Amino acid sequence: MTLSEQSNHAQEWEFTVNGFDSPVQEPDLPGIDGTTAEQAPVADDPTGGRSPAPTLRDRVTSIGSRYALIGVWLVMAGIYGAIMPDKFLSVSTVQAIFGSQSALLFLAVAALCTFVVGEFDLSFASVMGLSATIVPVLTTLHHMNIAAACAIALLASLGCGLVNAFFIVKLGVPSLVVTLGTASLYLGLAELISSSTIVSVSDQTFSNLALHNVLGLPLSFYFGLALCIGFAYVLTWTPLGRHIVFVGANREVARLAGISVDRIRAGSYVAASLVAGMAGLLLVATVGGFDPTASSSYLLPALAAVFLGTAIVLPGQFNPMGTLLGIYFLETGILGLQLLGYTGWVQDAFYGAGLVVAVTVASVVRNRTQRA
Amino acid sequence: MASTDARLEVRSLDKTFGSVRVLANVELSVLAGEIHGLAGQNGSGKSTLIKILTGLYTPDSGAEYRVNGERVRLPVRWPEVRAAGVAVVHQDLGLLDQLTVAENICVGGFPTTRVMGRIDRAERDRLTARTLDRLGVALEPNRLVASLSAPERAEVAIARAMRDHTEGAGLVILDESTRALSGDDLSRVHAMLRRITDDGSAAVMISHNLTELMSVTNRISILRDGQLAASGMRTADLSEEEIARRMLGGAVMQTVTRASKPPVPKAPTVTVNGLTGKQVKDVAFSLAGGEILGITGLPGNGYEELPYLLTGAQRAAGGTIRTPAGSMDLTKAGVVGCLRAGIVLVPERRDRDGLAFDLSMRDNISLPGLRKRGHRWFVGRTWQRQDAEAAVGDLGIRPRTPSTLVKQLSGGNQQKVLLAKWLAVGPTVLVLHEPTQAVDVGARQDILRALRRAADNGMAVILVSSETEDLSAACDRVLIYSAAAGAVETSDTTPDGLIDQIYAVELQPSGSPS
Repeated sequence: MTLSEQSNHAQEWEFTVNGFDSPVQEPDLPGIDGTTAEQAPVADDPTGGRSPAPTLRDRVTSIGSRYALIGVWLVMAGIYGAIMPDKFLSVSTVQAIFGSQSALLFLAVAALCTFVVGEFDLSFASVMGLSATIVPVLTTLHHMNIAAACAIALLASLGCGLVNAFFIVKLGVPSLVVTLGTASLYLGLAELISSSTIVSVSDQTFSNLALHNVLGLPLSFYFGLALCIGFAYVLTWTPLGRHIVFVGANREVARLAGISVDRIRAGSYVAASLVAGMAGLLLVATVGGFDPTASSSYLLPALAAVFLGTAIVLPGQFNPMGTLLGIYFLETGILGLQLLGYTGWVQDAFYGAGLVVAVTVASVVRNRTQRA
Repeated sequence: MASTDARLEVRSLDKTFGSVRVLANVELSVLAGEIHGLAGQNGSGKSTLIKILTGLYTPDSGAEYRVNGERVRLPVRWPEVRAAGVAVVHQDLGLLDQLTVAENICVGGFPTTRVMGRIDRAERDRLTARTLDRLGVALEPNRLVASLSAPERAEVAIARAMRDHTEGAGLVILDESTRALSGDDLSRVHAMLRRITDDGSAAVMISHNLTELMSVTNRISILRDGQLAASGMRTADLSEEEIARRMLGGAVMQTVTRASKPPVPKAPTVTVNGLTGKQVKDVAFSLAGGEILGITGLPGNGYEELPYLLTGAQRAAGGTIRTPAGSMDLTKAGVVGCLRAGIVLVPERRDRDGLAFDLSMRDNISLPGLRKRGHRWFVGRTWQRQDAEAAVGDLGIRPRTPSTLVKQLSGGNQQKVLLAKWLAVGPTVLVLHEPTQAVDVGARQDILRALRRAADNGMAVILVSSETEDLSAACDRVLIYSAAAGAVETSDTTPDGLIDQIYAVELQPSGSPS
């Protein structure tokens, strides 16, 4: 199958959670000549006469499968706590876990923007890098007002998203190819404007926007929380959000229901880049400067969190609260290992293994899920 | 018949997917020297059967499978069966255009040199020449497949399948391999098949082309809903009409209680004019609210695109539809325009076009109403739950829990959810395509009854279907579409009457259904 054919049958190969089901996994049906493909019904009619209300046991199982990851999280924290009660069980550990991940969380939400509509974006980390480079370069080297620099960085991110959307949605080029290419392109642009040197800003008020301490945690933590809650609200409670979910679940069904699928797809790329741009601003505010070549090291952690999130809250679906939990779950694991004295390689190994385990767990959970 | 004469023999073959039985007690016996036809509608289980024979699917326990009288282990290990002489030619033939005839024929069995393990080209060309010679085909081994004509391509594909057969043995399964051919080309391939089988080999031919089956096969087996509707009947004892009847009909269905005819003939509320798509041309008809209009035709003649043209799902090349909401140009109105005018589509393929399988019943049913019934910043859940519960009650969906994921439902219940989804928006025109395909009898009744209720409430219902019994049971009027005559109303709406007319309309000239 050529790439252009793939784009015509986008639904078949797009990188959604569903995409992980190999078609072989479920017998493709009685229908066979390709016309009545029908997934094997699992629960045919055993509940014929049962009342509409799920039994208590169903509910407990359902909650159990939804929030199993939180249990794993607690067990992990318990083990770390048992091994090193002094180091791990402290306020500073909690602050380190919840206070340090906001830029990554924004980045994961950027990835989520495209995943929920069944699209795939690899360029978001580079967009973040570009935005995080523009701000210090404009303020330090060109003495621009920091607010204006931030606005320009966001505009640039917006442009990145529009470019992605143009090639993928308008011209129908496979998203994997486009975003792989633009990822490198945006990275190159970032290196160009930074002249391959790391510049930093030292603007206390700007930094305070992210670092100001509220109830023991920096403001940036609350930004991330608000972003996820807002995103989750839109997805669950607004017509737009429900439409987005349907475009992600089955594009043709959405089209036949009168949803402008292409507008939602394009919007997802633009939103993703915009949120990635915000991640860049957060990064500058917290760290002060950024080396664009480090962008790619943010890609895998963000993807790992997004996939891990499909195992929680709404199993089998990409969801913002799951992503939020996924980020802090991964960070807890890594921080614990670091406190145990493993450094450097641990982070890469944990994120990589975490990604594989997360997707495996998510698909196992999904196959056992019977209710939304 | 003695099993020693049988090239291939299958007994008590069952196959269930989840709780759905797709093949029940299927038997197939292919004798040496015969061409055995296998007919059946889409979804009748033909392909499942082939996939079991070739080892892709595992049959339920208890089946028996013999090749040349020797029992084969189940599930089928394809290399064993292939070694025993069974070969398959798929419908797309599986040829690579940029390679030569010899390369295409020898793929999977290239002769190699002893020392280097390199492909022995001379031996390859000799093997190719030998195979082609045996089949009586004159082709240069070095020609590029891209340069071949359609019948030559089919010959190459068959030659590949027959490559390792010893003369006068083996069996080749042709899975709609000849559908790209017609006329003299088809006769030429048929003649070759005859030559092969005259030596004692055998062929199983799967085809939708009843004329072809009639002209080339010795015996025919017919599948309907996973069961044999004819088991190795002599072709000479059959007619095309008889095959069609056995493919489509059989189980007599209790009639859906049709409300007494609409008391007063109402003025047409929906009028379609000059509707033209990729295949259909200039279709015109009208119907009134409260009426169920059936549309059918010969499979593949293009009538299948009507539901999609009518609802904006597929852009028409021409045509207008007038509804109480006004007149609309179907070349411009997309799905959105049609929805706004109250025209909705219940598509055929619920898995691909109809429902989001990974979401719940409630979510799927409420999808079309989100914009109208929800607020911009808050959709609300109460109406969604109520709609879903109403659908569960009206259509008898099981299980009754609205939060059940669609993929967990049986085919019949999925189809009910799909219908409920579109009934929930209260359309003026409801267009359905094969709404009872691959659903059981009970669900079929529930669905047809729901259509009747909808019509009695004033909806105009257009039922596009190949199920003559549904059409007969549910419709007030039935149109039969043919390229020659357009959509013509029939007087006889009994299932048999419909089949006769469908085939009468178009069997005259070429007689090829696809």
